[in-house]
Amino acid sequence: MVNLTIDGKAITAEEGTYILQVAQANNIDIPTLCYHPALEPFGACRLCTVEITSRGRKRLVTSCNYPVEEGLEVSTNSEAVIKGRRMILELLLARCPNVPLIQELAKNYGIKKPRFKLEDDNCILCGLCARVCEERMGVSAISFSGRGLDRKIDTPFHIHSEICQGCGACAFVCPTGAIKLEDITDKEPRPILSEFNAGLSPRSAIYVPFPQAVPKVPVIDREACIHFLTGNCRICENFCQAGAINYDQEDEIIEADVDAIILASGFDLYDPSALEEYGYGKIKNVITAMQYERMISASGPTGGQLQRPSDGKTPKKLAFIQCVGSRDTHYKLYCSSVCCMHATKEAILANEHYPDLKAFIFYTDMRAVGKRFQEYVARAEQEYNVTYIRSRPSKITENPDNGNPIIWYEETTARTRTSMEVDMVVLCQAMIPSGSIKDISDMLHLSLNDYQFVNIPDRLFQPVDTEIPGIFACGFCQAPQDIPDSVVQASAAAARAAEFLSKED
Amino acid sequence: MPRINSPAELEELRKGILSKRDPNKPCITLCSGTACHASGSAEVAASIEQELKKQKLSDKVDFRMTGCHGFCERGPIVVIHPEGICYLQIKPEDVPEIISQTVKGKKVVERLLYTDPTTNKKIIHESEIPFYKNQERLVFGSNGKIDPKSIDDYLALGGYSALAKALSQMTPEQVLEEVKKSNLRGRGGGGFPAGRKWEECRNAPGEIKYVIVNADEGDPGAYMDRSLLEGNPHSVLEGLIIGAYAIGSHEGYIYVRQEYPLAVGNVDVAIKQAEEYGLLGKNIFGSGFDFTVKVHRGAGAFVSGESSALMTALEGKVGEPRPKYIHTVIKGVWDRPSNLNNVETWATVPLIINKGADWFLGIGTEGSKGTKIFSLVGKVNNTGLVEVPMGMTLREIIFNIGGGIRDGKKFKAVQTGGPSGGVIPEKYIDLPIDFDELTKAGSMMGSGGMIVMDEDTCMVDTARYFLNFLADESCGKCVPCREGIKQMLDILTDITEGRGEKGDIELLEEVAAMVKDFSLCALGATAPNPVLSTLRYFRDEYMAHIEQKRCPAYVCKELISYYIDPEKCQACMICLRQCPVGAISGGKNQIHVIDQTKCTKCNTCFEVCPPRFSAVRRLSGEPVPPPVKDRVLVRKKG
Amino acid sequence: MTTEEISRVDQIIDKYEGEEGILIQLLLDIQQELNWIPKEVAERISQRLNIPQSQIYRVASFYTAMSLTPRGRHLVSVCMGTACHIRGSPRLLDRITDVLKIQPGETSPDRRFTLNTVNCLGCCALGPVMVVDGKYHGKLAPAEAEEVLKNYD
Repeated sequence: MVNLTIDGKAITAEEGTYILQVAQANNIDIPTLCYHPALEPFGACRLCTVEITSRGRKRLVTSCNYPVEEGLEVSTNSEAVIKGRRMILELLLARCPNVPLIQELAKNYGIKKPRFKLEDDNCILCGLCARVCEERMGVSAISFSGRGLDRKIDTPFHIHSEICQGCGACAFVCPTGAIKLEDITDKEPRPILSEFNAGLSPRSAIYVPFPQAVPKVPVIDREACIHFLTGNCRICENFCQAGAINYDQEDEIIEADVDAIILASGFDLYDPSALEEYGYGKIKNVITAMQYERMISASGPTGGQLQRPSDGKTPKKLAFIQCVGSRDTHYKLYCSSVCCMHATKEAILANEHYPDLKAFIFYTDMRAVGKRFQEYVARAEQEYNVTYIRSRPSKITENPDNGNPIIWYEETTARTRTSMEVDMVVLCQAMIPSGSIKDISDMLHLSLNDYQFVNIPDRLFQPVDTEIPGIFACGFCQAPQDIPDSVVQASAAAARAAEFLSKED
Repeated sequence: MPRINSPAELEELRKGILSKRDPNKPCITLCSGTACHASGSAEVAASIEQELKKQKLSDKVDFRMTGCHGFCERGPIVVIHPEGICYLQIKPEDVPEIISQTVKGKKVVERLLYTDPTTNKKIIHESEIPFYKNQERLVFGSNGKIDPKSIDDYLALGGYSALAKALSQMTPEQVLEEVKKSNLRGRGGGGFPAGRKWEECRNAPGEIKYVIVNADEGDPGAYMDRSLLEGNPHSVLEGLIIGAYAIGSHEGYIYVRQEYPLAVGNVDVAIKQAEEYGLLGKNIFGSGFDFTVKVHRGAGAFVSGESSALMTALEGKVGEPRPKYIHTVIKGVWDRPSNLNNVETWATVPLIINKGADWFLGIGTEGSKGTKIFSLVGKVNNTGLVEVPMGMTLREIIFNIGGGIRDGKKFKAVQTGGPSGGVIPEKYIDLPIDFDELTKAGSMMGSGGMIVMDEDTCMVDTARYFLNFLADESCGKCVPCREGIKQMLDILTDITEGRGEKGDIELLEEVAAMVKDFSLCALGATAPNPVLSTLRYFRDEYMAHIEQKRCPAYVCKELISYYIDPEKCQACMICLRQCPVGAISGGKNQIHVIDQTKCTKCNTCFEVCPPRFSAVRRLSGEPVPPPVKDRVLVRKKG
Repeated sequence: MTTEEISRVDQIIDKYEGEEGILIQLLLDIQQELNWIPKEVAERISQRLNIPQSQIYRVASFYTAMSLTPRGRHLVSVCMGTACHIRGSPRLLDRITDVLKIQPGETSPDRRFTLNTVNCLGCCALGPVMVVDGKYHGKLAPAEAEEVLKNYD
């Protein structure tokens, strides 16, 4: 450990660390452009220059790569330092007058218009892109080429790269936005779609699944993480100040002796692509109800704005199609039980957000059986501009001029066949028991009914008991139900389990 | 070739070589350095061989093609031994006479001798020619006596005795102490004490250490290292091996710029011969010390001659400088301790070992010991490579050795230190050659380029020239150098092309200050020197360019015009015919006039107008007078 | 590239296989052999020596001794060293660029000449100097340059 002072503040630091690292760890701000904690210091922008007094001599050195020494005195903002930084920024602004980052940095030092002839570049040659590609990704698809004023970032021979892995790290670290993936490769990166946001937004390979995750720590998707795919990167490790990242973590298999099991495996959503007639996956403005929920959520990918996928416009005419995959001889025979109510809620929310929005719900039967549910539906009709049409549409097509979905249906009450052009369609897709139900039931020797729900032998008096004593099932895994009902069943299962355990004694 | 296994065997071999050489046997030496080669020494060599064969003298007369003699202005140079008769500017047709008259007939051919310009006397011996007489050619002098491709020639002069002494009579520490004591300072430009550098390298942690010869010599106008490496490669090798022994290194590199193919070739030959004799490789002289060396060619980048950049180039990467907060003697090539020195520095080491540090300390000034080789070029009469003791004044070098300014012009300044250096004006011409004195005057010793400038040299153009060079050679990595030099060059170009404005100089100085302190390497940090130095001593020239749009030296094309004085023109038609763009109109009896819209300022008319007329004038800062109406020439009688 | 050229290139690569830090030397040899560094050669080097193509390209584009486009049959070099500069090399260069109709660094469209500048050939006594295919032409006046160049086809 060595003792030094930065701007008069006495600091102890580990030998071999650089002044900049020590300053940053002590919340002392030194401007940088070419520095990155996960890359070797480059020393090219010279912006991090500080004035040091070492062994009696005053010198100007770059803090990103000058190792701390015992007794070092550092000044991060002496007159010489400020003057030099100002000139560097003035020169950079002359090179890149239209780059917002440089404009801002220069403004902080009092420069609005450089006294030199202006160019119009947007690359500051910091090298971050090439360095991350070489040092962390081990690919070296791009590098510097030429020298002096001809220096630039390029692919070999200026042709699109075959070896570029499309990770986008270069564009990510670029401080000015000068480098774009399409300049480097023909490959189009496939974004990792966020499961929680129903594929509406991308996520990174290391991510917190959703804000309410328990535990709320990031997790690494091994199938998308560059380190697991190629052995390189590990940049996240450099940034984690707690040192919490451990790439060697393996799944732990824990064996426990238990006396009771509660099965609460929940539901999955049925993929409506199977219903080709509705065009999900082909017609851009046909989305699922889960996607709609994420869209309208204030903490979702669009910040609560309804932006239809094709052009981001707010729909004025919104349609909901019920029983997509439910109550259908081709797919699922049962009723998913919650969709009529959530569609109504969604239609009300839409009109609350956008008062001139009209919603149409195409229903088979309105299952509004809970307490005050029917009144809710009536209010939707009367106060929130929601129109209920009794119909199960036969197909949806697309208006090629504007991307509007066109719904073809028979209005059963009027006995007419007609079509309606809307701005966006929400498919209320069927809900199915979670995919793991088959494995779990095999493992536990439980039987499933025809609809793949867990069998409950005595629905009437033992509504949460399975065939096997000591194993209880609650929630959707045994039957379609909404949140209140699921909560009730969960309490019931817990009570039953407790009862069972006390009997064991 | 027999392997030399001990110092005793070396002396045996040397005795053997000398015994076979009759000092009285006639020997023709011909300078074959690159400059003489360019002047046609290859043809002279062919002629000599032919003539010797013709006169059946091939075994009675030795013919040796040597390295650079230094007097490049008067090459090709032939010296006849044993008399030491020196003939200058030899052409192939002079050869038969030389061989018949001098070699056979022992008579001197007067017309080929050097004529002293003041006394008009002819001088016969090389050592008496003023150019050579005033030098002290300790390191460079052997060039004229050896064929660089013959290790035996080097041995005949006592070569490798210093290595034998070091390996057999001294410990590495003793060698190190001797070099430290001698206060030998690096000859490549930095002037850092070599002994201290060696010591730091020796003490650095790590088993594997490297020693490196920097023969990149990028300074334009400097070619001392080239001539030393071409002409006497063994002297450099010997010094390198001694240094490796002192430092504890077993692997060396010689980095030669690829623009020096002859040097690369001669070094390759020297290494092979040294290996055959066992002077390189395992167990040199039976001392147990191993050392091998590799040649690495540069590829056309001035910046790669900077020591940290050079080391990066040795790793096969692009030769860009690295931050030197951790010295390269501690972490250099492949992050191992690496000691880099200049060619001339290494070549001086054997002398110090043989004659001792005290001897070396007896030459030079307090702060700068020994001799230094300079390339004395430019507007001086005797262009060439000169070696002088530190402390000799610039005046002595330029006038006593250099023979003063050519064409009777007036001295204006001497530029030293290459693109990192500055100009020294007349008022400081009595400065002694010394690392610190030159730095105090705003220049630096540099690698040894000494460019003499006269009244026809424009200082603003000179500054712009150097910045242009540096802008070309900058690696472009750091902002101050890349962007700063560009903008300084822009301003200077504007000034030389007549677009200078008030405030330009202040802005120039402001940018220069930042570039000096914030650049990553010495190229950037010293880039402002030529500008700052010319501003210091010739500010008035800058002001003339900016305020009056005038170039006092008549160099900056956009600021000068060519004008034929109608009073002096004799209508001889010479300039008219030679003008490459047909801008001159006139006739046999018609005064010539230059069409200013066509004139490209190539200077041809000015050069070809017969001196007795001197009718072509250069104007600057004033308008060109319109052509006279009556252009019929009235010739003056007599 | 012809199979003959590929084999010559392979022979040069053979010389350096297994050694470290040889990229610059290798490329200099290739430049000497083929008069430029073609993309295919960079690919071959990358394949055989496991050096990323971007590094090869970086080195080849950094150094003036290496050319990424084919050089002309005759290399014309004009010395722009300081001594030659003050003896008038800029005017000589101007004349040469006029005559050859190319700028330094360029090759004439008919691939007859490549023009470049060098910094100090070490024959300052002969300044200004123009070198064509290794033959030195010293003390050259601008007007004489065209005559000299006429002799090269």
